[in-house]
Amino acid sequence: MIAIEHSPLLLAINANAERHPDKRAVCIAGSEEVTYRQLMERIRSVTAYLHSQGLKQGDRIAISAQKDLEFIYVYFAAHALGVVNIVVDADSNRKKLDYILNLMQPQMAFGFECTQCRCIEYKDIDYRCPEVNDIPNLLADDVADLIFTTGTTGLPKGVQLSHANIFGSADNINHFIGNTAEEVEVLGLPLCHSFGLGRLRCTLIKGATMVLVGNFANLKLFFNAIEQYHATGFGMVPAVWAYIRKFSGTRIVKYAHQIKYIEIGSAAMPLTSKEELCELFPNTRICMHYGLTEASRSAFMEFHECSSRLGTIGKPVCDKVDIKVFDDNGNELPDGENGELCVKGNMVMKGYYQKDADKEAWFGDYFRTGDCGYRDPDGWLYLVSRKKEIINIGGKKVSPVEIEDVICALDGVEDCICIGVEDPDVVLGEVAKVYVLREGCKLNFEEIRHAIEGKLESYKIPVFWEWIDEIPKTSSGKKQRLKLKK
Amino acid sequence: MDNNTIEAAVVRIIASTIHVEEERVTPDLSIGEIPEWDSMGNLSIIAALESQLDVEFPMEDLFELTSVKNIINEIKTIKK
Repeated sequence: MIAIEHSPLLLAINANAERHPDKRAVCIAGSEEVTYRQLMERIRSVTAYLHSQGLKQGDRIAISAQKDLEFIYVYFAAHALGVVNIVVDADSNRKKLDYILNLMQPQMAFGFECTQCRCIEYKDIDYRCPEVNDIPNLLADDVADLIFTTGTTGLPKGVQLSHANIFGSADNINHFIGNTAEEVEVLGLPLCHSFGLGRLRCTLIKGATMVLVGNFANLKLFFNAIEQYHATGFGMVPAVWAYIRKFSGTRIVKYAHQIKYIEIGSAAMPLTSKEELCELFPNTRICMHYGLTEASRSAFMEFHECSSRLGTIGKPVCDKVDIKVFDDNGNELPDGENGELCVKGNMVMKGYYQKDADKEAWFGDYFRTGDCGYRDPDGWLYLVSRKKEIINIGGKKVSPVEIEDVICALDGVEDCICIGVEDPDVVLGEVAKVYVLREGCKLNFEEIRHAIEGKLESYKIPVFWEWIDEIPKTSSGKKQRLKLKK
Repeated sequence: MDNNTIEAAVVRIIASTIHVEEERVTPDLSIGEIPEWDSMGNLSIIAALESQLDVEFPMEDLFELTSVKNIINEIKTIKK
């Protein structure tokens, strides 16, 4: 007997185990797999094991989000016991990991070594512990997961997500994409981030099948999994699409007929890539989300439906979510005016763990994304830039992304990153400076400047140019422009 | 550049690009097999090999470069 009433996720998985017990729930590509009945049994066993280790409601465990069945068991077992999961990437830099562990002081760690608490290898979990009899009094609003955002500035922030939040997000996504229990998804995304872990939850609450592959690096393995498991969908970030095209050309088109959906997110995608995907997957729902760990998948757009407005980030994912554009004082702005995108909804976090960070995070009950954008008269939302990265040229607000997109669209330019720097003539306040990736660039600065003239207003043409050996990016591929600001 | 030199250079470049010890870069190591050799790591490795060994991998061959051994053989073929 375990508690599941507080967790709509566990209730849904349990219902799927009763509805189709022998259906495959999770497969590790080319290796082991579990059915829905086995998954629920394992979750119950691991709940008993965690209880036997002295863990109780309100405790915290740090779990390494590996592509293993054991990670999934521990993750859901903690939910059943009311223990908060601190989901970490054990391969990430040690400094960040130590910061998180020192701050959170978890009772136990799973799947990795640390000095802050007792560590258990997943293989050492005992599945034969007696069932838990004392059912804790848990609520859907209790914190279920704590995920630390990479953070483009400052220290990582702990995002507290309730049981209701993580189910709400998964339910919203399934509703938008139109997923059914018949889906088979191949997941190459990491489970330590909101995107990948969210995909797992979406699949399991629908009673569909999730196939885990290590990552996208070896595309042969990814394509083999699509073929072997008759996959109907997958998720990716824009950088992965660029990788797929570079390393495999258009081989993926072979599977276009069976791929019913693709979810894309985490960073901006070039317009040309969106158009290309529309051509290569004419009958697939290609759904791109806008969201943050704090407000997972706030907005969605589908490429074919938005073929005349591919630059939009879409509309709120469903009627349980609202997105408003506010000025700096928290006043709602009219359509067409740039301001901060703020989100309210069933998937918006309870708050940051660090109280100081939380104070600045809200306008009333709307979460402040820190992203600048606007809504057009038809309700479509457009992202302009991260608020602090906006370049203010003589009072005109310029998105660095706009300049980067024009430069990156040139043949012979691999990548670039743009920031605002002080105008040496002290006339405009700021001017644009661009760092062009040296590797693979076949043009010099004068040639690039000449090529973008006429494609950008003259004040947006960068004044300063510099080569760079590596574009600073977060692990999810977002450009870290603030790192280049001195 | 003889075959032994190519093998040593490939191992050195892969190891230094993804910041792992050379001992881990065995001929049978496949891409994606260690966390450091993810898709972003693979992009960096291919770029580093092309610039440091003065080779250009044909687009159609990139899909087949799935292990250290494949990469070494490909470079040997190009250098012939």
